[in-house]
Order: sequence, then structure tokens, then C-alpha cells
Amino acid sequence: MPTPPHIERGILVFAIWACLGFLGLGIVLEGFARDLWALSAGGVAVIVLAFGAHIVVNGVFDTGFTRGEAVLGIGFYGLLGLVFILGAVGGNLSLPDLYSGLSLFGVLAAGFLAYLATRHGLRGAFSQFHIKPTQAEKA
Amino acid sequence: MVWLPLYGLFYAMVTLYWARIAAQQNGDFQTYFSAGHSLSPWVAALLMAGASLSGWALLGGADEIAQRGFGLPVLLQAGVVLAVPGVLFFKRMWFVGQRLRLSSQGELLRSYYGSEFLVAFSAVVAVLFAVGFAGLQLGALSRLVEAMTGGAVTAPVVGMVLGVVLFGYVVIGGMRAVGYLGAVQAVLAAAAMVGFSGFALISLGGFGELNQGLVALAADPAQAGRFAVAGVIQFTAGIGRGAALGHEGTAVASLSLAFALMGFQASPLAAKIILSTRSPRGLAAGQTWVMAGMFGGLMALAMAALGAAALVSPGLTVAGLLQSLSPWFAAWLFIGALAGVQLMAGLALLTAGESLVCHIYKPWFHGALDRKATVTVTRVVIGLLAVAAVLMQALTPVTLSMLGGLALPLAFQLWTPLLGMTWLRWITPQAAVMGVGFGIAGVLLAEPPGHAVLAFLGLDLPWGRWPWTIHSAAWGMAANLAAVLLISAITQRRGFGSEAQEARRFLAAALQTSPRAKALKSTAWSVVLAWGFLAIGPGLVLGNTAFTAPDGRWLVGMPSLWAWGLLFWALGVGVVWFLAYKMEMASPGTDDIPAYEPPPSLKRDHRAAEAERLRVLVLTGAIGFGLVVLTARSFGG
Repeated sequence: MPTPPHIERGILVFAIWACLGFLGLGIVLEGFARDLWALSAGGVAVIVLAFGAHIVVNGVFDTGFTRGEAVLGIGFYGLLGLVFILGAVGGNLSLPDLYSGLSLFGVLAAGFLAYLATRHGLRGAFSQFHIKPTQAEKA
Repeated sequence: MVWLPLYGLFYAMVTLYWARIAAQQNGDFQTYFSAGHSLSPWVAALLMAGASLSGWALLGGADEIAQRGFGLPVLLQAGVVLAVPGVLFFKRMWFVGQRLRLSSQGELLRSYYGSEFLVAFSAVVAVLFAVGFAGLQLGALSRLVEAMTGGAVTAPVVGMVLGVVLFGYVVIGGMRAVGYLGAVQAVLAAAAMVGFSGFALISLGGFGELNQGLVALAADPAQAGRFAVAGVIQFTAGIGRGAALGHEGTAVASLSLAFALMGFQASPLAAKIILSTRSPRGLAAGQTWVMAGMFGGLMALAMAALGAAALVSPGLTVAGLLQSLSPWFAAWLFIGALAGVQLMAGLALLTAGESLVCHIYKPWFHGALDRKATVTVTRVVIGLLAVAAVLMQALTPVTLSMLGGLALPLAFQLWTPLLGMTWLRWITPQAAVMGVGFGIAGVLLAEPPGHAVLAFLGLDLPWGRWPWTIHSAAWGMAANLAAVLLISAITQRRGFGSEAQEARRFLAAALQTSPRAKALKSTAWSVVLAWGFLAIGPGLVLGNTAFTAPDGRWLVGMPSLWAWGLLFWALGVGVVWFLAYKMEMASPGTDDIPAYEPPPSLKRDHRAAEAERLRVLVLTGAIGFGLVVLTARSFGG
């Protein structure tokens, strides 16, 4: 059961993404619809702002992303990436759309790696993905 | 078309997520009604501001400016107007509640005044908010969806879906779900208000273009009245009986509407939030910076800009924007508006359910009900209230509108009992009860439901709604105050009960004002009266031309009344800060308050009396119904 501080953190995280996350997503989509890279880039900036706010909240409550948040974020990133790649392969994307998508996924990937590196250090960031087998598993 | 259901589904999932968390914390039913008095002060502050302002401001406030212009400048001061009673009451109510271990307005009134009438009236107000006020706003949202989908989804279907989502999270999670989710909803609703006004301004080409449009409107003699308060008062017979010269927006109309808005802070809904909060430490900041500052700023800037944009270009209303924007933005903004309305509706449903079951049904008719059964019955009652609200949206919209219009002015009549409990110790129980009774009569005589009932019984009143351009809240309060003053004067020797005496002793001992605050008392009175006179009172007529050059040009590039409103909103935040912090009216005292131990008493078996009461209730209801039908058949039209 979540404890009260985690509940308060959860409220803040939901509020941040309900406002900035959906606004940013809307601006990115508007950029795609109007073939305007600058507009999409503005949307990416708003999403990065939401990430920043989320990290600040994590800092205030002295915690990191929860497992559920990481799964949701990576899953959403993968799904959007898949849609983008399918769109690009199908040749349905204009050049501004292509740049918009690359900006979004590039900035998010770079931001994610930067977050890991600053929070865990370079070696620690690698260890987040590289899970060493235990002696029992080796045997 | 896909975005709205997608976002709606996401919203429903979020509500259920928080309902589940809340239910886990509640242990299903143990802390269902008041969240174990554990809501964080900042959560309570957001909840209070969101419930007070977000829904009606977006759907009603902006529309009022779009239809009638700036003739009711009190709308721009809504944040400050709502913060002042919060500063006045909340801290003292929290202290009394903690000392006597009470968790609702009904319990406060019963303990302090020992009056079942006041308890029942508080329950009626909660029901009016739950069914009337919230039902009106949910109905407006349903019609928006119908318009957005081009009629593919009808308003009754939308109303039912929204009702199910609302019912779901309130029934599962109780006050804790209302609190946790309410904080998210308040932020989302505020973002939606900024979003709506931002898109409206972008559509017009910016703030400069908006004001160019307003200048063009003001140059038309037929429209110029929309940028001015129509005098201090006009002695009309009321809406429906006699038209005002120009429009109904006089300075006194603004002042009396401010009274009506203040009704929310005296309502059982506001008390529910305060008494579910774990500490008074956030009250001053909540009222000053969240309510008056942040949400007040939204009223004075965003709501006003949205309304003004629709004044210039009638297509830029909330409904127009939702239909013209890209679907992802429209869906996001709609969810924001929905969040604002459901925040208030959820709180109202819970409070009404608790009032009806815990404060009326259980003590009068079924004292043996245990806690689990009480929660179960409350859940059923909340379901019935939600169904009533949904059905009335579809079947009796006019009645719903009339009931919704009564919620605020009737809630304002609770000011006198609350003042007696917190500040004015000379208000006796008899005076509080009679005052509220007269207040109810005053409100009903100036509102359509009262007129309709009297007309049904064959009595046609010579005045319409809000005679002399004075809102029914003020008419009710005039009668209320007159009765309170008179009856208090002649009942001073009658005593209070032991719990009331303890509350009075405790407040006097625990909340002693510092010498510095005492020295500032006359300054505080002067500042508040000056602000009230100029920002929401007769001084508003000065705002008609305060920022206008002799040649009629607007000196600050916007209508004079809007600029006046912005100036007094900023000054109003200062007034609230002064009262809350410097006068120590809302700044924190201690959190650790020992419970009052009442003298031991024997418990009696009330079962026979309860059965007798039920019999009397049924008989009285049947006889009353028969008499009304007989009178209507004899004298009615």
C-alpha cells in the first residue's frame, strides 16, 4: 500500500503530466498536422519541461521513477517510435514530420540517458540495464 | 472523433486508479467520510480553490462576460471574494472540529447550537449543490459533447456516462478519493482555463487584437453599456417584472452577487474539506496564494479574456472553441473542464450523502446502524442522488436550473450560525435558527422556485427575480440579520450546551490574538471596507471611467472596468494576505489539540422513539401532500 508521502508525490506527478504532458503531445501533433517543425519542437520542449518537473518532484520526495512509471514511459516511447518508423517506412511522412519525429525521439532518448548518467553515474547507468547473473544462475 | 473517447477513457482510468488507492487507505469503510482527517494542507488548498471556482468560472463566468460584457465586475474578483470568508472561518472551524472531534458541518451545528433545524438545512444545501448546482454544470458539459460530436452522441447518454464515472470514484474511495483526485483535477481545470483563453487569444490574433475588437464594440452606442456598471442601484421590480435601464449589472448587483459567491465557503462542502485536513498550517497560504492569488488571477485574466474574446467574436465561446480546435486540443480542454466540474460534483455528492445518512437518517430513524452499514447506505444514497442529477438534466432542465440557482444564496444564510460559532459569541441558538429561517424565506421570495410555489398555491407576487437588482442572497441575509439581531437581544439569558461552552472556552484560550494584531484591528477594518467599497461595492461606478481619457480613449489599452478589476484583484490579494498573516486570522496555531471529554451519560434505547418518528414522518408527508393538492385545486391557476 502506498504511504502518504508517495501518494502526495503521485498527485503531483499526475498533475504535471495531465497538464504539461498532454499539452506537449498536442503541440507535437499539431506540428505534424501542419508540417511545422518549429511547432513540434515547441511541443518537445514542453514534454521535456514535464520530465524536468517530474525529476524535481522526485528530488523533493527523495526518490526516483517508480517501476510502473518506467514501464509506462518506455512502453509509450516504444509504441510511438513504432508508429513513427512504420510511417517513415511507408513513405507517409513529409520532411518536417520526419525532422519532428527525430527531434522528439532523439531529445527524449538523450534526456533519458543524461538523467541516468547524472543520477547513477556513467558506470551505474550502464548497470541499470546490465544485470549480472548470480552464482546460482551461473551454475 | 477518436481523441475525445481516448482521453475520456484515460481520465476514467485515472479516477479509478485514485479510487483504488483511496479505498486501500480507507480500509474500505473505516475512514470513508473524512479521510481520517489526514488530507495534506496543500491538497486541501487546491481542492478548496478548484471546487469553489473552476467549473462555474469556465462554463458560467466566461459566458456571462460573453453575453453581457463587464457589467458585473465582481466576477473578476471571485478569487478574493471567496478567500475572505475562508480567512474568516476556516481556522476557527478547524479548531472547534478538532477539539470536539467532529468531521462535518452538520455535526458542528448540532454540537454547538443543538438545533436539528440547522442540521437539516445544512443537508438541504448539500443536496442542492449535489443535484442542482453540479447537475447544471454536468448538463452543460453533456451538451458540449453532443455539439462536439455533431449529435452522434446525445446529451443524455453523455450525462449518464459522466454520472457513472463520478459515482464510481466517490462510492469507492470516499473523501480520500475526492481529495487526492481533486488536487489533480484542480490543476487540470486551471490549465484548461489558461488553455481556453490562450486559444481564444491566438484565434483573435493576440491581446492587442482583442482590445481593438473591444474598442470597436464600445464605439457602438448600442453596445457601450457592456463596458459600464449601470449605476449604483436601480429600483426595478426584478427580472421578469420590470427591465432595468441599460442592463441589470449595477454596483449593488455586483455586491450582492459577491455575497452569493461567499455562500460556497459557508456551505457544508467547504466545511467537509476543512474538517478532513490534518493541520491548519496551509490555510493562510491556501486562501492567500492559491485561492486569491492563483485562481483569482485566472478569474481576472483568463476567464475575462475568454469571455471578452467571445464578446468580440461570438464563435469563441467554450463550445465554439471545442468545435473549431484540433481534436487533440479539444479533447484535452474538455477533460480539463470535466475535471473542474467533477471535482465540485464529487465533493457535493459525498457531502450530501453523508448529511442525509449520518446526520438525518441515522440519528432520527436508525441509531443502531453500525459504521459499515452506514457507509453502505451512504453509497446507495450517493447513487440515488447521482441518478436524480442525471435524470433531471434530461427530463426537467428548468427545475434543475431553479434548484441550482438556490444553492449559493441559501448556503450564504449559514453565515450567521458560523459567525456565531467562530466570532460573534452573542448570537444565541434561538437567534441563529430564526435568522436562517427568515433568510430562507428572503431568498425564496426573490427566486423563481419561491414564486412558482406561491403561484401554484394561487398567490402572485408583485415582484420578479432579484428586485432592485439585488441578488436573493442579499435579500435573504437582510432578513436573516434582522432576525438574528432582534432575537439575540431578547434571548441572551438562554444558555448554550456543554459542548458549545467548551468550544467557546477553547477558542478564547487557544486563539488569543497577539498585541501586534490587536493594534492593527482598526487598520484591518479600514482596509477591508475600502477594498469592498471600491472593488465590489458602490465604488465600482468609479471604475467605469477611471482608466478612460476625457476623449473616451482607454488609457491602458483595455476596458476601464477590466483594468479596474485587475488593479483591485492585485490589491485584494494584499488584503487577504494582511488578514490571513498579519491579523493572524488564518495563520497556523498548534496542530496538537486534545479531544474534549464530555461528562459521562447513560445511553438510552431510542428504538421506540425512532419508529414513532418514522410513523409521524410518513403521516405528516401524506397530510401535507393532501393539503397542498387541495389548496392548489381550490386557489391555484
